[in-house]
Amino acid sequence: MSCLIVQSDKTLLLEVDHEQADACRRAIAPFAELERAPEHIHTYRVTPLGLWNARAAGHDAEQVVDALVTYSRYPVPHALLVDIAETMDRYGRLKLVKHPTHGLVLESTDRPVLEEILRSKKIQPLVGARIDPDTVAVHPSERGQIKQTLLKLGWPAEDLAGYVDGEAHPIELAEDGWALRPYQQQAVDGFWHGGSGVVVLPCGAGKTLVGAGAMAKAKATTLILVTNTVSARQWKHELVRRTSLTEDEIGEYSGTKKEIRPVTIATYQVLTTKRKGIYPHLELFDSRDWGLVVYDEVHLLPAPVFKFTADLQARRRLGLTATLVREDGRESDVFSLIGPKRFDAPWKEIEAQGYIAPADCVEVRVNLTDSERLAYATAEAEEKYRFCATTATKRRVTEALVARHKGEQTLVIGQYIDQLDELGEHLDAPVIKGETSNAQREKLFDAFREGELSVLVVSKVANFSIDLPEATVAIQVSGTFGSRQEEAQRLGRVLRPKADGHEARFYSVVARDTIDQDFAAHRQRFLAEQGYAYRIVDADELLAGDEA
Amino acid sequence: MTTPRDTGSRSGGTARGGGPRTLAEELRARPDGALGGLLRARPDLLNPVPGDLTQLATRAGTRASVLRALERLDRFVQQTAEALAVAPDPCPYGTLAALMTGDAPGDPLVAEALPRAVATLRDQALVWGTEDRLRLVRTARELLAPSPAHPSPTGLGPTVAEATAGMSPGRLQQIIAAAGLPGTHDPVSAVAALTALFEDRVRMGELLAQAPAEAAAVLGRLLWGPPYGTVTADPAPHLRWLLDRGLLLPATPGSVVLPREVALHLRGGRAHRAPEPAAPDLAPATPHSAHTVNAAAAGQAFTALTTVEELLTSWESDGPLVLRAGGLSVRDLKRTASFLDTTESAAAFWAELAYAAGLLASDGEVDERYAPTPAYDDWLHLPAEQRWARLATAWLAATRCAGLAGGRDAKSRPLNALGPDLDRSPAPEVRHRVLALLATLPPGTSVAPETLLARLHWERPPRTPAEPGAEDLRTRLARWALTEAELLGVTNRGALSAPGRALLGPKDMESEDAAPAHPHPLSDAEAGACAVRAAAALAPLLPEPLDHILLQADLTAVAPGPLKRPLAQMLSVLADVESKGGATVYRFTPASVRRALDAGRTAADLKAFLTAHSRTPVPQPLAYLVDDVARRHGHLRVGAASSYLRCDDDAVLAEILADRRSAPLRLRRLAPTVLAAQAAPDELLEGLRAMGYAPAAESAEGDVVVTRADARRTPPRTAPAPVPEGPPVPDETLLGAAVRAIRAGDMASTAERKQAAAPAPAGGGLPRTTSAETLATMQAAVLTGSAVWIGYVNAEGAASQRVIAPVRVEGGFVTGYDHTADEVRTYPLHRITGVAELADEHA
Repeated sequence: MSCLIVQSDKTLLLEVDHEQADACRRAIAPFAELERAPEHIHTYRVTPLGLWNARAAGHDAEQVVDALVTYSRYPVPHALLVDIAETMDRYGRLKLVKHPTHGLVLESTDRPVLEEILRSKKIQPLVGARIDPDTVAVHPSERGQIKQTLLKLGWPAEDLAGYVDGEAHPIELAEDGWALRPYQQQAVDGFWHGGSGVVVLPCGAGKTLVGAGAMAKAKATTLILVTNTVSARQWKHELVRRTSLTEDEIGEYSGTKKEIRPVTIATYQVLTTKRKGIYPHLELFDSRDWGLVVYDEVHLLPAPVFKFTADLQARRRLGLTATLVREDGRESDVFSLIGPKRFDAPWKEIEAQGYIAPADCVEVRVNLTDSERLAYATAEAEEKYRFCATTATKRRVTEALVARHKGEQTLVIGQYIDQLDELGEHLDAPVIKGETSNAQREKLFDAFREGELSVLVVSKVANFSIDLPEATVAIQVSGTFGSRQEEAQRLGRVLRPKADGHEARFYSVVARDTIDQDFAAHRQRFLAEQGYAYRIVDADELLAGDEA
Repeated sequence: MTTPRDTGSRSGGTARGGGPRTLAEELRARPDGALGGLLRARPDLLNPVPGDLTQLATRAGTRASVLRALERLDRFVQQTAEALAVAPDPCPYGTLAALMTGDAPGDPLVAEALPRAVATLRDQALVWGTEDRLRLVRTARELLAPSPAHPSPTGLGPTVAEATAGMSPGRLQQIIAAAGLPGTHDPVSAVAALTALFEDRVRMGELLAQAPAEAAAVLGRLLWGPPYGTVTADPAPHLRWLLDRGLLLPATPGSVVLPREVALHLRGGRAHRAPEPAAPDLAPATPHSAHTVNAAAAGQAFTALTTVEELLTSWESDGPLVLRAGGLSVRDLKRTASFLDTTESAAAFWAELAYAAGLLASDGEVDERYAPTPAYDDWLHLPAEQRWARLATAWLAATRCAGLAGGRDAKSRPLNALGPDLDRSPAPEVRHRVLALLATLPPGTSVAPETLLARLHWERPPRTPAEPGAEDLRTRLARWALTEAELLGVTNRGALSAPGRALLGPKDMESEDAAPAHPHPLSDAEAGACAVRAAAALAPLLPEPLDHILLQADLTAVAPGPLKRPLAQMLSVLADVESKGGATVYRFTPASVRRALDAGRTAADLKAFLTAHSRTPVPQPLAYLVDDVARRHGHLRVGAASSYLRCDDDAVLAEILADRRSAPLRLRRLAPTVLAAQAAPDELLEGLRAMGYAPAAESAEGDVVVTRADARRTPPRTAPAPVPEGPPVPDETLLGAAVRAIRAGDMASTAERKQAAAPAPAGGGLPRTTSAETLATMQAAVLTGSAVWIGYVNAEGAASQRVIAPVRVEGGFVTGYDHTADEVRTYPLHRITGVAELADEHA
């Protein structure tokens, strides 16, 4: 009995308790995307993107087929193997290479394929003259565009045109008393070897350090794109601490500051600001000869940034993310524009290595009062979620939970400002929201870090990239409807390893029999699939237990 | 050519021991075993059993029977028969061998295979006579000999004698003179001289050496057939050169033919460009291990079972409608395909398979739908291997071809899956042969489909070459057989699996050479025995059904293999299937749990079930989900009542409920102050009054309905319309129409007939003319535009007279303006008893 079952929908089921499970995981990880990792059976999915990722990483169809046949418990349908081989064979038939005299060219080893794609209306504007039967010139500016289009046509091109070195700038990791963790080192190596691509690591697993490691490899001017200003400061802080870079070498390009230094950290927001139909801050990309572009939180990359990225294909690109799942389904653009997945490690594995804290996730079901239920029933459809998410009963349960974890560093996270203000008032805790100034935020975060403050109420501004090392309890009272990646980010707040190895707690307070419950189920699915199973408890029981 | 045959038959008749004179005579001399062999190979001769050998010989010579026999010969035997058809009759073996191998040393393989071919032809009573006087039966010769309408597969044309049959003696003399032969006295000797020249390799070589280069090119073009070419009235010099010497002979005006002898000379004596003495070799493709093939085939066999079950389960409740023409609509097939997550052709195959196995049929209701048959229930209870054997044997023996579905028939009507006209009688035999050929290879070895098809093609070449681009039926059948066998798990990776091998009868295993001896695959008993063996071969390969699942905290359950039936059934109610294959992934949702509760399970049942069957502890969120759904399940209750009874004083209601007289009202207490009744409101009122209460009726809004006895009303009615005296005054249109109708009727009955056209029918009866006359008169009437008087018998046999002005006569119909009916009508000519012209004033 082997440990792998191949399903007809091209999912692979891996029995994790099996003795061969580790070997099998290593064999299938290069080409199959881990979709769900609950306690007993992990589900991987074989997709064309995954297979091409594997091809890009140097694996061939034979290895893939061999892995499946070796570990499969039941005979693998022949058609599936043939399909896999055919799909993988499509990658690399077309190559983007640098021609000594004609510049960027698209080369083919299979003439009919070249003929087929050249007939496509979408390709025609992107290519230039036919150089010989197997080669066609490509406008250098369309390098990203053509890769994107070819992927859509099902003939992904291998980009071998290389990268510009960019302006050199000395960067070293300052490994004094710490070192890159093994998986971080693997991620950096995997990225550097592949040239460009995406590194998938769970929240709290130290993605910033992977970025720093990549910069130390590149030793060139670097542009770092992050989600918001707080995150930008975080990066700056971390880079100063972990590398040979000094404060003066790192510039911040955000709504408030417009510094361009050898290492520049810019926010997505400022880049995508549009004035009079143009993006005024785009020149940032051309302001220096960047040797490396780092994209933080790739899964949140806004659509316009994809467009700019298409023009940056000659520069090395590193994407960092906790998940390749995009709520908008643009995974294929990430693949074609930033690059294939170069490294990933499932959460549980890193947790098992002790690099992130284990977490106990609890969904607290709250019974609304009769009057609240009546009001909910009569609320307008678009108001329903807001209403049930912000009921007074939930607030009382939240207060009880905070009281229960008195003395522990607790974050209360929510979506609606008035609810948060109210909570802040009742809990006598400061509230961080959009209008809180950055200085004030930093001050509060520092106080929280120092332990001067034990409860902090935050809105979704704190969803991303703030570092609160000692938060052990997070209580989520409302969220952006059913967003799965928001849930993952919020859980990430408590997953940073604790000094005392204390188990983190993540509460989600949910109103029973309302749309809140449905959204919660949707949000939790991602975590449950990552192996973070929720327990569901009734608020009444939980509180009764407290009193007893 | 005629001369030798005449002398031959004469000498055969007179010479003692010179061989049989007729086929019957030869058959008479054959041993019983040989006759049995003949009858086995040509079973049509037995129907009905012939009275004597003369009758048998006659029947063996009938066109239909010969055609059938020729079609069932392999390529080389056919080629031999074709060569015999262009050889002199009777033909010595040596001549035949020369035709097959050519002049030169010849192909040793051909020479080696020829005796077998001749023996086969002889066994089948297609050839008879002694070795030096081989004779092809006449019908076969006619069928195979070249004629302008049916060019021979050899590409040879007629002989000189045949081609010059109508030629003037003068022209013949010119030709032999041009060919350098001395003149003769009569055409017969002239033809003989020319034939002799053409057959003499040396002299012929000398003659052709003088030919202009273009002439040689022309001969080269016609060499391998078709031997006909066109010429203008004034041919070019090189053609003229050939025509002058009889190397090309005129066939029809404007076309010429290359005489057989000339072609044979140029071909070096060979009748066939490429004799194919041996069956194409089944060169094995990449071999897989027999274990891999068997395991994968068993996996596919299991998939086949689940697919059929899935299909029929889905058709249990909501089967697709049967089209009026029979079969499944294209839309339903598409839906089925997407439901089964497969292609439309595969979906058609699964449906046809279930149909062939008797698991699926039309329900025969007014609103006809497809539904599983009772046999399906029996089938479901069989062990998996037997279920598969049922399907596989049904497939093997079926004449229905799922591959045809989605195509169009000869009249370009669409062919629907499960519909009529999908039967192709050679299908079982082709399937059998395909598998039998695969069975000759070592286990685990496959062969490229094209190789296999080439072999089948050789064994039974299609008689009429298929149109370019289209494949003949047998090839298509074989292709389908290959894909379907793969789907069923009879083969895998192109190699026959062990269960697939067991499906074939033991006899098939041996018959590597030649076509199968018994074209009808298997008798029922044999098939039954094969099914048992196939099931036994499959059983150890199938995965053992499991009795456990793995439950996970993300609300999924994984069955790491096939489940035992009761467990699978329960799970399919309790959870939704998310992914299928070797394992099954189920997902629990509130809706799926509610479904199980609706099916009568309780939360405790469900949790006990999950605990009992899970290898892992039941995760807390799942237990919580079950409880949470159960908590709300049935919280609201819905029922039907005809009326209700309410009273603020619950004591009164208790009293009524306790009263035995209230029993017929079927009251039930819903709440302290409300009773529901199954009786209608008026009955309830009556009943309560009879019991001495004074109930009041309540409207839908809750008001008391005040009833008064005199308040009865009819539904809205209109006042009656006044009835005037006499009929209403007709309007102008109606009047006009009436007048026209009267006039027309009058015209028909009083029209005077022209005496010249036909004798006037007695007493105003129907006119009678012969059909030729009718046609002529009609056509004349069309030309003159005049009206005629006809007698007409309608479909019910009722005769009538009509006056029509024919407009068109074509295809056995006459279309014209019918004065009697006042409209344009079409009458079939054969229904018209006769026609008479009207008197001139009416026309």
